[in-house]
Amino acid sequence: MSTAIRQWRGFKAATRLGWQISSNWTQPLVFVLYSVLRPLSAAFILVVMYRVISGGGANTAAYLAFLVSGVAFWSFVQYGFAGLSNGIAEDRGEYKMLKYVYTSPAHFYVYLLGRGLAQLASAVASALIVLIVATIALGLPINPLHINYPLLLAASSLALLAVIGLAMAFGVLLLQARDAHGYGELGSGVLYVISGAIFPISVLPGILATIASLSPLVYWMESIRRSLLGSQAIRMFPSLSDGDVLLRLLVTTAATLILAHLVFSWADRTARQKGLIDMETNW
Amino acid sequence: MSHPSAMRIFLKTIVARAYPRFVAAYRNRAWLITETLLPLVGTIAMIYVYRALHAPARFLGFVVLGGVLLAFWQNVIWAMATQFFWDRGAGNLELFAMAPTSLAAILLGMALGGAYVSLTRAATILLVASVLFGVSYSLSGLLPALGVFVLTISALYCLGMLLASLFLFYQREAWQLADAMQEPIYFLSGFYFPVRSLGAVVGGVGSLIPLTLGLDAIRQLILPGTPQFIPLSVEVLAVVAQIIAYAALSQISLRYLERQARQDARLILRST
Repeated sequence: MSTAIRQWRGFKAATRLGWQISSNWTQPLVFVLYSVLRPLSAAFILVVMYRVISGGGANTAAYLAFLVSGVAFWSFVQYGFAGLSNGIAEDRGEYKMLKYVYTSPAHFYVYLLGRGLAQLASAVASALIVLIVATIALGLPINPLHINYPLLLAASSLALLAVIGLAMAFGVLLLQARDAHGYGELGSGVLYVISGAIFPISVLPGILATIASLSPLVYWMESIRRSLLGSQAIRMFPSLSDGDVLLRLLVTTAATLILAHLVFSWADRTARQKGLIDMETNW
Repeated sequence: MSHPSAMRIFLKTIVARAYPRFVAAYRNRAWLITETLLPLVGTIAMIYVYRALHAPARFLGFVVLGGVLLAFWQNVIWAMATQFFWDRGAGNLELFAMAPTSLAAILLGMALGGAYVSLTRAATILLVASVLFGVSYSLSGLLPALGVFVLTISALYCLGMLLASLFLFYQREAWQLADAMQEPIYFLSGFYFPVRSLGAVVGGVGSLIPLTLGLDAIRQLILPGTPQFIPLSVEVLAVVAQIIAYAALSQISLRYLERQARQDARLILRST
C-alpha cells in the first residue's frame, strides 16, 4: 500500500473519530441546538451591550454587523483551537489512546488535521445559523447574492490553517501539564481579545495592538467583514485594499505555521523524551 | 464504644468534603491559573467592547462586577453541578454512597469549599480589573452590597446543590450540558449589561438564576446610575426566597434522584 493511501486512510479515520466524539453524545437536532446556543447567546450579549449604549437609534446596523460577523466566525476558533487542543489532552487522559495514535501508520500531523477538521464541521453550521438568525432578526446589511465568496473562502481557508496549526502546537505543548483542563478555552480567550472579533484592535493599548496586528486572525476578521458587507463594512484597516489584507493574512499565516511547527516539534520531542505520551493524568 | 451523633457526623462530613477544596485553592496551580484568568480574560474583552463604544465609565463597573460573579457561576457549574459526574467517573461516588453519612452533607461541604475557592479568584478579578481600567465604586453602599453578595452566593450554591443531584442522571452529555450553561446564562443574568435592558419577560426568566437579581442589587448599591430592574428591597427578598426554595428543592431532588440512581445502578455507571 502506498504511503499516500495509508495517510489518506488515517486522515479519514481521524476525521470520523473526531466527528463521533464531538457529536454522538446526543440526537442530531440537540447537537445542532447545542452548537448554536453559545455563539448565538454571545451575539445577543453584544447586541444588547451595543443597544444600551447606542440607544437603539438609526444607523446601528453596520456596527451590529461588525459584532455579529465576528462572533459568528469565532466559532471556528472556539471549536478549532479549544476543541482540538483539548482533544489531544482527552486522547491521552480520558480515552488513553494517544500512544496508539503515535504507533499507527498515519503521521501524527495527519491525525490531528483530521481531528481538527471534524471540529470545524460543527463550526460551519454554527456560523451559518448565527449569521442567518442575526441577519433576519436585526436587519443586518448582509445579502447572500452580494457576498464576495472568493475572498471569504480564500481568507477562511488560510485562517483555518493557522488556527489548526496553532491548536496542534498548543495541544502538544499541553501534554507537558498533568492537568490541562480549561487551557484550550483560556488560549482561545486570549486570541479573542487580540483578534478584532468584537472590537477594533485600535482600542487595545500599544503593545497589545502591535501583537494583534501580527496575528492572522485580525486580517481574517477584516476579510470576512469586507466579503460579507462590502462597502458597508466598518474597517479596522481603511487604508488597505482587499488584496493588501489578503496578502497580510497570507504572510502572517505562513509565519504562524512556521512558528507552530517549531513549537510542535519541540513539545513533541520533549513529550517523547519524558514519557508523557501515555502519562496517567488522573482524568 | 459510643457512636458519634448524627449531627456530629453531618458536620464532620461537611468539613471533610470542604477541606480538599480549601487545600486545592492554592495547591493546584493549573486550576488557580484557569479559574482566575478565564473569567478575567472574558471580562477584559467585554471592557474593550464598551471602550470601543465610548461607553460611560460606570459600564466598565458593570462588566467587572459581572466578571466577579462569573467566577462563582463557573465554580457552581464545573465544581458543583457536574461534581457527582466527575466523582462517579473517578469511583468516589460509590464510596460516598456507602459511607455512614448523607450526600446532602457532602454537597454542603462542596459548596462551602467551592465558595471559598471562588472568593479567592473573584477577589483577584475585582482587584486586577478595577486597577487596570480605573473602575471606582461608591463606598457608601459597600456594606449593604457585601450583605447582598453573601445572600446571592448562598442562593447560588443552593441552586448548585439542586443541579448536582440532577446531573446524577447524565452521562457523557453532562460535559456538553455544563458547557451550554455558560454564554446563555451570561446573557440571561445580564453579566455585562444592566438587567433592565433585557426587558420584563427575559429579565423575569433570568431572575430564576440568583445571580441576576443579586448582581442587579449589588450594582444599584455600589454603581450609582445603574438602571433599576426592580426595587432593591424586592430583589433582596427574592434572593432570600431563592435560598429557601433552592435549598428545599435540592434536598427533595437529591433524595428522589439518589433512590432512582441506586435502583438504576447509576451510582457506579462509568460514562467513558
